[in-house]
Parts: sequence; C-alpha cells; structure tokens
Amino acid sequence: MTAPAPFSIPPQAAYATSYDVAIVGSGVSGALIAKSLGARGLKVIIVEAGPGEDVTVADYTKSVDRFYSAVSKDNNAPYAHSRNAPMPRDYDAVKLHDGQPNDRGYLVQNGPFEIDSTYSRVLGGTTRHWEAKALRMLPDDFRMQSAFGRGRDWPISYDALAPDYARAERELGVSGDVEDQGYGGLSFDDGYVYPMKRMPPSFLDKTIARDLDGFEVTLGDETFALNVRSTPQARNGIPNAAYDNGKGFKPTGAVSLHQAEMGGRCQGNTNCVPICPVQAKYDARRTLLAAVDTGQVHVLARTVASSVDIDSATGRVTGLTCKTYADKDAPGHVTGTLRAATYVLAANAVENARLMLASDLPGTARLMGRNLMDHAYLLTWGLMPQLVGTGRGPLCTSGIEDIRTGAYRSHHAAVRFSIHNDGWGWATGAPYTDLAELVDARNLTGAALRDGLRDRVGRQLLLDCMIEVLPEESNRISVDPRHLDQMGNPRPVVSFDIPDYTLETVAFSRRLTRRIYQRLGAEDHSRYDPLAPGWVTHDGEGFTVRGGNHWAGTHIMGTDARTSVVDATQRSWDHANLYLAGAGSMPSIGTANTTLTLAALCLRTADAIADAFASGTAGQPGATPREGVSA
Amino acid sequence: MSLFQITDLDGLHQHLRAAMQLEHATIPPYLTALYSIRPGSNIEAFDIIRAVAVEEMLHLTLVANLLNAVGGTPDLTAPGFVATYPAMLPDGEEDFAVDCQRFSREAVETFLKIERPADLDHGEDGGKTVSREAVDGAVKAGHAGAQAEEHFFSIGEFYKAIEDGLDRLHAQMGDALFSGDPARQVGPEYYYSGGGGLIKVTDMASAKAALDLIAEQGEGVTDSIFDEDGEIAHYYRFQQLVLGRYYQQGDARDMPTGGPVPVDWDAVYPIKTNARIADFPEGSDLRRAAEDFNQTYAAFLARLTRAFQGAPEEFIPAIGDMFHIKELFYRIMRQPIGEDQELHGAPTFEIDLAKEASA
Repeated sequence: MTAPAPFSIPPQAAYATSYDVAIVGSGVSGALIAKSLGARGLKVIIVEAGPGEDVTVADYTKSVDRFYSAVSKDNNAPYAHSRNAPMPRDYDAVKLHDGQPNDRGYLVQNGPFEIDSTYSRVLGGTTRHWEAKALRMLPDDFRMQSAFGRGRDWPISYDALAPDYARAERELGVSGDVEDQGYGGLSFDDGYVYPMKRMPPSFLDKTIARDLDGFEVTLGDETFALNVRSTPQARNGIPNAAYDNGKGFKPTGAVSLHQAEMGGRCQGNTNCVPICPVQAKYDARRTLLAAVDTGQVHVLARTVASSVDIDSATGRVTGLTCKTYADKDAPGHVTGTLRAATYVLAANAVENARLMLASDLPGTARLMGRNLMDHAYLLTWGLMPQLVGTGRGPLCTSGIEDIRTGAYRSHHAAVRFSIHNDGWGWATGAPYTDLAELVDARNLTGAALRDGLRDRVGRQLLLDCMIEVLPEESNRISVDPRHLDQMGNPRPVVSFDIPDYTLETVAFSRRLTRRIYQRLGAEDHSRYDPLAPGWVTHDGEGFTVRGGNHWAGTHIMGTDARTSVVDATQRSWDHANLYLAGAGSMPSIGTANTTLTLAALCLRTADAIADAFASGTAGQPGATPREGVSA
Repeated sequence: MSLFQITDLDGLHQHLRAAMQLEHATIPPYLTALYSIRPGSNIEAFDIIRAVAVEEMLHLTLVANLLNAVGGTPDLTAPGFVATYPAMLPDGEEDFAVDCQRFSREAVETFLKIERPADLDHGEDGGKTVSREAVDGAVKAGHAGAQAEEHFFSIGEFYKAIEDGLDRLHAQMGDALFSGDPARQVGPEYYYSGGGGLIKVTDMASAKAALDLIAEQGEGVTDSIFDEDGEIAHYYRFQQLVLGRYYQQGDARDMPTGGPVPVDWDAVYPIKTNARIADFPEGSDLRRAAEDFNQTYAAFLARLTRAFQGAPEEFIPAIGDMFHIKELFYRIMRQPIGEDQELHGAPTFEIDLAKEASA
C-alpha cells in the first residue's frame, strides 16, 4: 500500500519545487523543525527513506499485527523491512572474531565492541520503537570538562536549555512529577508541572521502594541515599489541570488521517517497545501530522538522500541529491535534486554522518562521524521473594536516579537504574524462554505449567544500569566503498569500544546491584555469556554490555570550527546554510536517553532558522549558486 | 402532534436520567457489532464503530455531569437502566427496534437510524411529540413525559426539550438551578481521546456546551458532516461503511472522497441476535461465561455509579473492567451455542437478571 497524500507527494513535483527548507528524516528532530517552520509560513520538504505508511489507524494496526506474528520480536519487528532503505536489526550483532568486520546486517561492525543498537528508517524514525522515557540531562552533564576534567563542555548550559526542555515536554506530551525530580542539581521554574501527571508507580516499584528507600551508597568521599522515583515519560497519562498556569493540557491521541478515538491514556500493555498497541506513547508521527496540517510541509517518502551538494567556493549547500524508489525491495529508483535555501539533516547521528561522509564532507575539523556515543547498558535480573505483578504497566514507571552525578565522575562514569515492569525480556527473552524451559526442561503440563509460569514470570525483576559513555574520537561512523547497500549508497561502518571510564562503572553497578538484590531478598539470576556479542572484561570479571539505541556525538557541537562540527544552534561551521540536527550534536549524553534533549535542541534550531529567514540571511529558496556569493 | 415542555426541576431530572439511559442504550449494540468482527479483519470498520462507542461513553458522562450539576443523582444501577433488546428508540411516528446483533449491513442501517440528524427547524419551543402507547423495550427517552403516551418524535427533539427546559428553569431560578456539588463533576483528566473532551458543568454556558457536544457528535440536531472543531458526526462516520470511503474536509454529503473503507461482511462471528441466557445450554461454558459477563457488567455499572456520585478515582479501575468485558465478549462469541448449531453466543445484557441472581 502506498502512503496517502499528503504523506507522499509525487517525486517529480518535489524535485521541481523551490523550498525554503529541505529536511532529511521524518523522525522527532525533523518533525519538530518542520512543524515549527511550517507554522511560521516557511515552505518545507521532508525526505523520508522509509515507505511513509502508518498514518491511519488501520495501517498502524497492521504494524501491531506484524509485531505479534513476528518470530523475532526485535525493535524493528513491527515494520516492513525495505531492501532499498535497510535498517539495523539487533540480531545482526554477533561476536567478532580475529578482527573480521561483521557485514551481515545493514551496519558494518568493525569492533572491537559489538554494538546491538538499532534505529528505524520509517515515518517517525526511531520514536517508532523508543520507550519514551523523557528525563532531562543534569546541569553537570553540560559541563563535564570544567566540573570533572572529563569529556567536553557544551556551549549551552542547563539553565539556558531549561526553557526549551519545557517546550519539548509540551511537544512530546510528558507525564511526570516535578517533585520526584529533585536530585542531581535539577531545577525547574517555580510552579512548573509536567503536562500530565506521573505514570502511577507499579506494585513492583512500591515493593522495591519499601525495602530500598534510604539505602546508603558511598562513592569516594560522598554518600548517597537511594530512592525509588517516578520516571518522566512521553506517554499519555492524566492531564495535569495545573499545567500552563492552570490552562491544563490537551493530550494528542492516535495518529490518523481519519478521526479515531484512540491514543488516550496508557493502558499498561507492557508493550511500549517496540510498539504501543493503543498509541498512548508519543512517536514523531504526531508532530509530523501537525506539521503537514500547517499546509506548508510536504513529505517525500521512499526517498533516500544520497549526497549533499556543495558550492566549493562558498561552502554553501546547493542541493540534495536523492533517490526515490517505487518498490521497497526491487532494485530501481529515480534520482533527483531537491533545492532549498536552507538544509537540515535530521536522519539521526549515524545516518547524518554517513550521508556527509558519503558526500565526501569530513569537515574542516575532520570530526564528521567521530565521537560516537551510546549508552552502555548492564542488565541485572533476579526473582523477587513474592509475586510482584510483572507484566503490568508501561515498561518502566520508576528508577533510581540519586547517583546520576557526583564528584566520582572525575574517575568513572555516571549511572542510573530503571526498574522494569516487563520482567526479564530484554535479558533472556522472557516470558517465551520461560515457557520453553518449563515445558522442555521441567516437563510441566496443565495446571502445574500454569502455576509454574505464574510463579516464574510473576516474580521477575530486571534492573537495568544505564551507564554514561564519553566522546572519544576513535569511536566513529565511517564509510567504505566496499560496503554499499542495494541502491549504491555506502552503509555505515561502526568502530566502537567501551572506554575504561565506562567499564569501571559497569563493574561498580554489578557490585551495587548485588547488594540491592540482597536487600530485596531476591535471587540474583544475572549471568553473562563470554560467547555473546557485547562481552567485556574489567579487572578479571566479565559482563555483557548492551547498546541503548542512543546514537550520539557524530557531528559534535562546540564553540570553535577547529574542534567541533556544529555551533550551539546545530548549524554547520563549514556550510552556512546547513544544519545537522539531533543527538549527533550532543557533546555528552549523561544518563538520560537522548530524545528529550535533542527535541529541546531542535526547537532552538527551528528558531535560529526562522530568525535567519526573518533577517534575510537564509538565502534564496532553491537559488542556484553563483560564484563569489556568500552569506 | 403536540409540544412537550419541561417545567420543573423534577421533570428536568427525570429527562436527564432518561438521557443517560438513552446514551447507554446505544453502547451494547455498538459493542456487540464491534466485537463480532473477527480479530484482525475489517480494521477500518472496527476503528469506526469503536470511535462512536467511545464517544457514546463520553456522552453518557456529559449527561451525568448535567444531572449532577442541577442537583440530580446519576444511578446506572437502577432497575431497567440497561435496556432490554430489541430496545425501542424514538424515531418519528414509530419507535424503531435496535438489536444487539453481529456486524452486518442491517446493523449499520440501524446505527444510521440511531444517529440520523434531526430536522428541528420548526422554530417553536419544546420538543415535538406524538401520542402513542409505550411498547415493550421502549427506552424512557421516548416516553419521558408525565403521561405514559408522551413520545418524542426523535432523539434530537428529546435533547431540544431538555435544552429548552434548562432555559426555562434558569429563567425562573437563576444560577440556583446549578445547585449540585462541583466536586461531582467529571473533568477531562478522566476522559480524553482524539475528539472533544469532557466538560465540567457548573453554569448555563457549560451546560449548553455539553449539550452542544452531544448534538454535534451524534443523535445530532445539526446535519453538517464536520463540526466547528473539524470533528465528524456519528451518522457520517457510519455512512463511510456503506459508501466504502472516508469523508474528508470539504466533501459534500453522501459523496466522501477520502481513502477506501473496505468491508468484509463475512469476517464476523455468526452470533445470535438479542441472545438470552436461556438460549445457552445449562452447565455449558458458554452459559457460565454469559452469566459471568452480566455479573461483570453489573459490577462495572455499579462502579461507574460510584464514580458519578463523588468518587471519580473509580474510573481508573473501570479501565480494567472494560478489558475484562472485552475478553468475555470474545470468549462468548467464539463459541457455538451448542452441538450442530451454526449460531454463536453473545452477551445478553440481562443485567437485572444478574442482579437478582446475586442478590
């Protein structure tokens, strides 16, 4: 089925139009910028590599059914895989041997660490499978170098970004309780409340809080008291009547060209990743629909940007060469060039860098693709002494945030912990693997099997340890002409290693979670397989570290063209009418997933672009370059 | 034909209670058709019926807010609150029968009849009525007047009479009309969806807004496809199933130009129309499930009653009840009524029977 108008204009029409702004990628970055600029009357085209479907509830339902019937329930399982715009799949990550790269999937993995992170090339981007946690980064995260002598400082402080965080929390529709966010130096405007009330803590959260709250942990010279706190998330809850000085908040429901009474409150299906069956979770299609509703925004789907064309005299972008395919799998495409005054790459940290490098634009600072970051996740899991109702509620309703920052960060990485309501699934493939074990290994049937499953699954606790990774230039995305996709576009080559700074905290987190399980009276079932991808060792102990799908850093932001790729508005130092938007701009990722922060950054970028148009410095729509003309 | 007027507070309460019964009366037929669709098929139709059913629940709550606002007490547990199917709804000279039946052309025709916009352009106060004896299964909205034979010409006329009654009583009583406890008003925090939200009723303006929302969305007194907020009225939502296309903004009536609405009338459980507990073999799982359904539904209505009577936090566990109700729907509809039977079971909505059994 093809995407309905206006979610896919004919490619000939797009290629013949002069736009104010051309955006690559329909994910959260691109959608927010498009909505903001469209609302201000600028004419915008969004290029989407995926098929551009899923703007009706019926299409969405097909994705949900595709997920239900998939044997491998990986992050991209709900979405039709396209050979012309392939996506990374976590099962493509395998153990690397003898320095041989793994090129079985879309990502080419050079190692030494095998990363199982993915992203989605579909309408709405990776918000289509995100979990929707919406934590702010901490003030310290923005000043890593000056506070701890580690990593890099941002050119923006927390205080400067705080108003944009509040805007992002409105755009994404965040449920949370400011009262629970009083840690690590986080500050909010007086009287600020989230748009919606917090997700109610699960029974599991309350059980853990009862035994854990006040538990003291010493790190260096500091002692921290741990507390279970609700996690802000972009998931529809009860609107807070006090929001916006008592004006309240009207949640956005299911995305549909036809009116659907769906997408209300979270119903606790515990299926947030990869797909919320009731559309209570924010994904960028909501913003995209609002963008298209401005009447100023076109979406050109089934189209992969293949090169950014530059006027060598001025450095300005003159066009965006794209390939539009008709059939998602069959070879064959038409090539065209989109023209606009301003260009925005919003295709995520991996694809932005891949496209720039494929265009032979490594940048003056030679930093394009470097400083790749992602969170390192250590998973720990155990069985609680009593039934805790595993499998109810959104994936996580609470976490432990108290040691997200401290003086210890001079020595090792920050960490936060999420309490999982979905049991051991991420670590072991539960509950399917539990069923197989009880049937095949323990020969249970009938009532004994039912009771056995209830006892086994209903007591599961998974605590994930989300650990900071700092930018290092050797961690990078590159391209290699030996590795092309079906369309002839270079595939991303990933070179990544987990820094010692992070590994130290992996080992610390394992020691701490052992103590937590003891305190909870839980059986610790965590074990790590040396033959699994992601195996790392530290001081003689081994762990499996998983990726977080939080790709960042590849077009890092700074104050100087010699040491960074973009400025504080995400504008390229080298190309005056080009913005590289998204987590790729972030100089640190702290212990927050990147979406809320990159959303705040992109709202600033939209303002900067609009200001440039208002002041006449943005250039002419789709103007052909003339020598000697500069901004 | 004559005109009926609400002239006192008791009359207003009586009519608003009847309105709650009327709004609820549409829900069992809509849910029955909805869940008779085999899971995974008729995705568009499922979506359309579901959207209307959800809005009927919104209307039920809006009427409860109105009743609370004017000092009445909503009670979904009152004997006879749940209609007996076929239920008779007011429409013109004759009542018309509404069945709990499978998703079918006949069902959609009935739904269109329920939601058909009224022509109220007679420029007179009051609701037009005809005098007829109440028939079995008639809902109170058709016969809410003091005399048993008062009979509203249409659902639109009935709501028009309520609106006129509000105006009349407000002229007499002033704001004292809105004597109810504001704490009983259910606000948008307990309901929201794609369409209009809940309105707390505390004065004449909010009362009119609540009535307008009911009228615009369905059982309409207006006959435009989309309302001011761009929301499509129920009649036209259902018409999309017959015409095979979605309406979009700018379309003329009966000529939708949006995307296709494919319908597979055969991908439906062959359920018995207006099934009764007595139809199901004694001791069968089907019968137990159907009895369980009625108990569950009765408990659900009791919970909603508590929510409307000052404990709105009861709406949260009510969400769990609705999942349970859905699971029971499928459990019942998957099963043939007995050996060699073509017809499958269906929930019977014999709620008073369930209450007697558990009393």
